[in-house]
Amino acid sequence: MAGQASAPYPRFWKTVGRRPASRRSRARPGERWAPGERPLRLVVVGKGGAGKSVLAGTMARLLARRGRRVLALDTDTMPGMARSLGTTSPAQPPLADAVEAVENGCWRLRKGIGPVRAVQRFSTLAPDGVRVLEVGDQVVGGDPPITPSVQAFYQVIHGLPGATALRAWTMIGDHPAGPRQTAHDWAPYADTLLVVAEPTWKSALTARRLAELADARGTAVTAVATKVSDPGDARFVEKVMGRPVAATVPLDEAVAATDRRGVALLDHAPAAPAVAAIDDLVDGLIAGRLTPVVAR
Amino acid sequence: MKIAVAGKGGAGKTTVSGTIARELARTGRSVLALDADTNPMLGISLGVGPEETYRLLSVRQGIDEDEVEQHVHSAEALVETFGTDAPDGVRLLVGMRETKVDPGCVCCGGITPKQLLADLDADGRTIVCDLEAGMGAIVHAGAADVVVVVAEPSVKSIDVARRTAATAAADAEVIVVANRVQSEADIEAIRAALGEHELFVVPEDDAIARADREGRAPIDLDPGSPGVGALLKLAERLGRRPVYA
Repeated sequence: MAGQASAPYPRFWKTVGRRPASRRSRARPGERWAPGERPLRLVVVGKGGAGKSVLAGTMARLLARRGRRVLALDTDTMPGMARSLGTTSPAQPPLADAVEAVENGCWRLRKGIGPVRAVQRFSTLAPDGVRVLEVGDQVVGGDPPITPSVQAFYQVIHGLPGATALRAWTMIGDHPAGPRQTAHDWAPYADTLLVVAEPTWKSALTARRLAELADARGTAVTAVATKVSDPGDARFVEKVMGRPVAATVPLDEAVAATDRRGVALLDHAPAAPAVAAIDDLVDGLIAGRLTPVVAR
Repeated sequence: MKIAVAGKGGAGKTTVSGTIARELARTGRSVLALDADTNPMLGISLGVGPEETYRLLSVRQGIDEDEVEQHVHSAEALVETFGTDAPDGVRLLVGMRETKVDPGCVCCGGITPKQLLADLDADGRTIVCDLEAGMGAIVHAGAADVVVVVAEPSVKSIDVARRTAATAAADAEVIVVANRVQSEADIEAIRAALGEHELFVVPEDDAIARADREGRAPIDLDPGSPGVGALLKLAERLGRRPVYA
């Protein structure tokens, strides 16, 4: 048996030098929120092209418009969420400045920099007051190298669940395509995995895989079907994924058009049907009353 | 010959990989399709079937979970032990997939797409490697002779493609696929960013969209459709390279 002890490769947290977050308690005891007051803690995941960034970016701004303090977290080294948020300015100073190299190829946050300070110093401001923390941009040739920034981001997000000063903050993450980051605990702040799937086999099977990973981690799953043009589409995603679909976003030419231009859906097509659907989804998540769409 | 297929998520990497692999096999080549995505779906575009593809054993999983009794001593033996037969005689090998939480570092342990692609012998056969989404994957393509970069006509997709092509061009021949093209303006947008590379235009195609929905290989559904036809031309272009290159 290839048990834990005999794993032939180092685990990521060994290079980080901390215990795995899955073995730390993430729920803070004694938290009480009035109905509808609990800050959402989500990460949007799914196959490439399903609409993760558009959904995450638009939701972040709609939540901010409801008066919530929102932290948007883009974990992709080819950041896409910023465009959907309607901002493109990179963080200055860069997040890489938050860490320093220590022995054995490990990295640690600089003295005096915790998760709260990191958010203050290295996040940027997007429209509607959304704060954005990005892992940063992988440039051609890898110079400056992305590693310090990735290490800093990983350590900062693992500090977020316990950051008292951010306890009332809504947090929305946007993961790169596929299950890799979900498997590797790149959203310790999230209590819900928002799994996005369009009605194709590849997309819906990816959603199934992500939901299985969420189960293994004990994270809740909310399934969203995107690019829906037919009542059968949500049923298809539900059947392949094996989970009830909690919300749908219609196939919308405005989404495709803004995507082509690389601009924010919310700024350039605020009246689009997709925006209305995402707005409903936000209401449903706040109220905690999402019901399966297929049964409705 | 070793071909790696790269691009942003959803651009159409897997569709391109599966279709050119099938066509190269149909025209008499020995083809190994290597799925280097941690979310492996290449089987679907090869025509293996969606549920079957979901269940395919990966090399990494097979070794970690001791699925084999005997020692697998070479990259060739991995293909023997863990490979699957796809239509037209294509052999499919899945590198790894994420099936559990905290699975350890995916870049260590000796079974990386980069190493597989480097270790597998291309003599007398063609290897088509479907990479993971995004730009990070391009570091795995160091062993490829040709990198096919797939771009949709959107700002994000073109940006990923541009950087990927710039990185890949140092070690390999780069061919750009302009995918899901609807207008001259789409081609222009892609050409403006990637004009120095050879460009294949694949038009938006209902048959490919339907194949995607039905979980089938586009080449099985409608080999005569405009989109599939363009991909067959790409395969022919790739096939003109000498086998032992």
